[in-house]
Amino acid sequence: MSTIVIGLSLSFLLFLLAAGLTLVFGMLGVINFAHGALYMLGAYVGYQVALTSGSFWAALLVAPLVVAALGALMERSTLSQVYGRDHIYQVLLTFGLILVIDDATKLVWGMDYKQVPTPDLLAGPVELFGAMIPAYRLFIIGFGAAVSILLFLLLDRSKWGMMIRAASADPDMASTLGVDVARVRTGVFAFGAYLAAMGGVVAAPLVPVELGMGFSVIIDCFVVVVIGGLGSIRGAILASLLLGMTRAAGYTFATEWVELITFVILIATLMFRPQGLFSTKGRAA
Amino acid sequence: MKRRTFLKMTGAAAAASAFPAPFVRAATPEEYHIAAILSFSGAYGLIGGGMRRGAELAVAERGGKVLGVPIRFSWEDDETKPQPAVQKATRLLGQGANMLFGAISSASTLALQSLSTQRRVPHLVTISADDALTVPGGARYSFRTSNTMGMEVQMCVEFARRRGLRKVYVVTADYQVTRTGFEQFAARAAEVGYEIVGSDFAPLGTRDFSVIIDKMARSDADAILVMVTGNDGVTFVRQAGQVALGADRVIFGPVLQDEVLASVTGPAALGVNSGVRYHFSLENDPNRAFVEAYRAAHGEFPSSFAGEAYDGMRWWLRAVDESGSWDVEDWVKNFESSVYADSVEGRKQMRACDHQAAQVGLWGEVVKGEAPLPELTMRITDIFEADRLFGAC
Repeated sequence: MSTIVIGLSLSFLLFLLAAGLTLVFGMLGVINFAHGALYMLGAYVGYQVALTSGSFWAALLVAPLVVAALGALMERSTLSQVYGRDHIYQVLLTFGLILVIDDATKLVWGMDYKQVPTPDLLAGPVELFGAMIPAYRLFIIGFGAAVSILLFLLLDRSKWGMMIRAASADPDMASTLGVDVARVRTGVFAFGAYLAAMGGVVAAPLVPVELGMGFSVIIDCFVVVVIGGLGSIRGAILASLLLGMTRAAGYTFATEWVELITFVILIATLMFRPQGLFSTKGRAA
Repeated sequence: MKRRTFLKMTGAAAAASAFPAPFVRAATPEEYHIAAILSFSGAYGLIGGGMRRGAELAVAERGGKVLGVPIRFSWEDDETKPQPAVQKATRLLGQGANMLFGAISSASTLALQSLSTQRRVPHLVTISADDALTVPGGARYSFRTSNTMGMEVQMCVEFARRRGLRKVYVVTADYQVTRTGFEQFAARAAEVGYEIVGSDFAPLGTRDFSVIIDKMARSDADAILVMVTGNDGVTFVRQAGQVALGADRVIFGPVLQDEVLASVTGPAALGVNSGVRYHFSLENDPNRAFVEAYRAAHGEFPSSFAGEAYDGMRWWLRAVDESGSWDVEDWVKNFESSVYADSVEGRKQMRACDHQAAQVGLWGEVVKGEAPLPELTMRITDIFEADRLFGAC
């Protein structure tokens, strides 16, 4: 039973990390390589806020907003210039943004690792089904589930979601109908940055906050997004669950095979269902 | 440029590059250039900064000179990967570097060692622990002044014996040097009667140990051996702390904690036992002087990585200076037979047979420190003599 609970926590942490990436691709058609760097930046800003305020919750509230503002600035100053061009320009541009964000982070916080303490409320373990589960893991499950539901409702059921989908599906028509497409795009990218930073803050009590943390996580994000279907939030949720549970079971029974199994699933998806296991064409959520 | 001029220049460049590197450098002693390839990012990124500060202090202590010329460092980040390590070292050797210093991960260090052998350039290792780096009749130009995995595993065995631990669950970084270490521990465990009740190999860079920790918590192990270090070690101990794994089990490892790692780990590090490469609390005059100078320069106590880098660089530069020569062979001969009586760790002796420094092994536990000590500090609990840790060569 503990394996299932841990698998769920792995799944929702993966989802929190990948949600912004799939959102930006689904709505803007941009493969944002800088997503990992924004995640890292979120963790660093979260560290700073937690250090200054003494509160993890303040970090969770403030850091994503700060990174979202930076994301909006990045989108206006760089990405907005290359929407009409080939994907390779966007990939190269976002790769360049990684280097800028990394160096800026190094200048501000240095190369030493930082630590964000687990909030006192969630610091201990909880006995569940005969196993000791970290309370923080349970928080990740609840928080991740809430975020996934809110994202789904926002994109699939709200007026904002309708505007975003309209601007994504046919920007010219949406513009004719009075939608400010440029502003919608900026908002979507900023929201993607917000989600990345939120993932960084949530992950910070589990891992050291360090400059390389974005590189390692971006691979996992792409695995989730490819398996779930590029641009599909629903797919990202299901792919995160598939991967998280596979990893939990793998680490329980065959630790050395976990990475291999993960990438076999990825390759099989690309070979037999390249649009993703859970992709529904035309849907974002 | 005329075709003939171009061909002459190309030919001259090819001829120059065909000579062994030291031959070329022997004629250019305007400076002593150290190519330092360390990790400033990646799994062992935490370690590079301390090593840099330690090595720089060793140079500063000499007035920044050796053999009468200024010493210049080139610092490069290998990102904890062998390929960037080799690329960057090759570029610096092409610029006339007189020696290689590094790396941190044994994979990178082994790659640098091959380069050192090919180019006949001295290579100083002060942190990588893979036993393969120093084997009898091995790399002629490569020297290690720090611990080997073998001696650290031996310390783990000895610690488990002293603490009366019987059942051990092991997590090992899925990496050659730590796998070898696990095999050595398993062999010794069988000899002395410990039972290994479970073992897992976690990929280098693992960010989530929760499933492995859960398996440990459900086992009947009385001790957890963590053959994982750097970021991964920090991540493991932090996540273990979230289920209070150390409350009723002894957590220990060959290089699991020191003050730097403990500061990032947080309170979960308390009570964790670890081999320590160097410690600022060692009572001897050279160490007191080093700690004082380091604190004056950096406002903090030196880490084990800084201490080892300082000690190794100081020893090496002294041997080079004493050789009074710019011939690399003289440096090697002088260093491989040297005794370092005033090491910050006590006495060290370079073994000519395998270029490994014979030295004491330190073991400690993370405890709460009181000012001016770091908030979490290592208390040295055991010092193992060299003859108990090193076999005959």
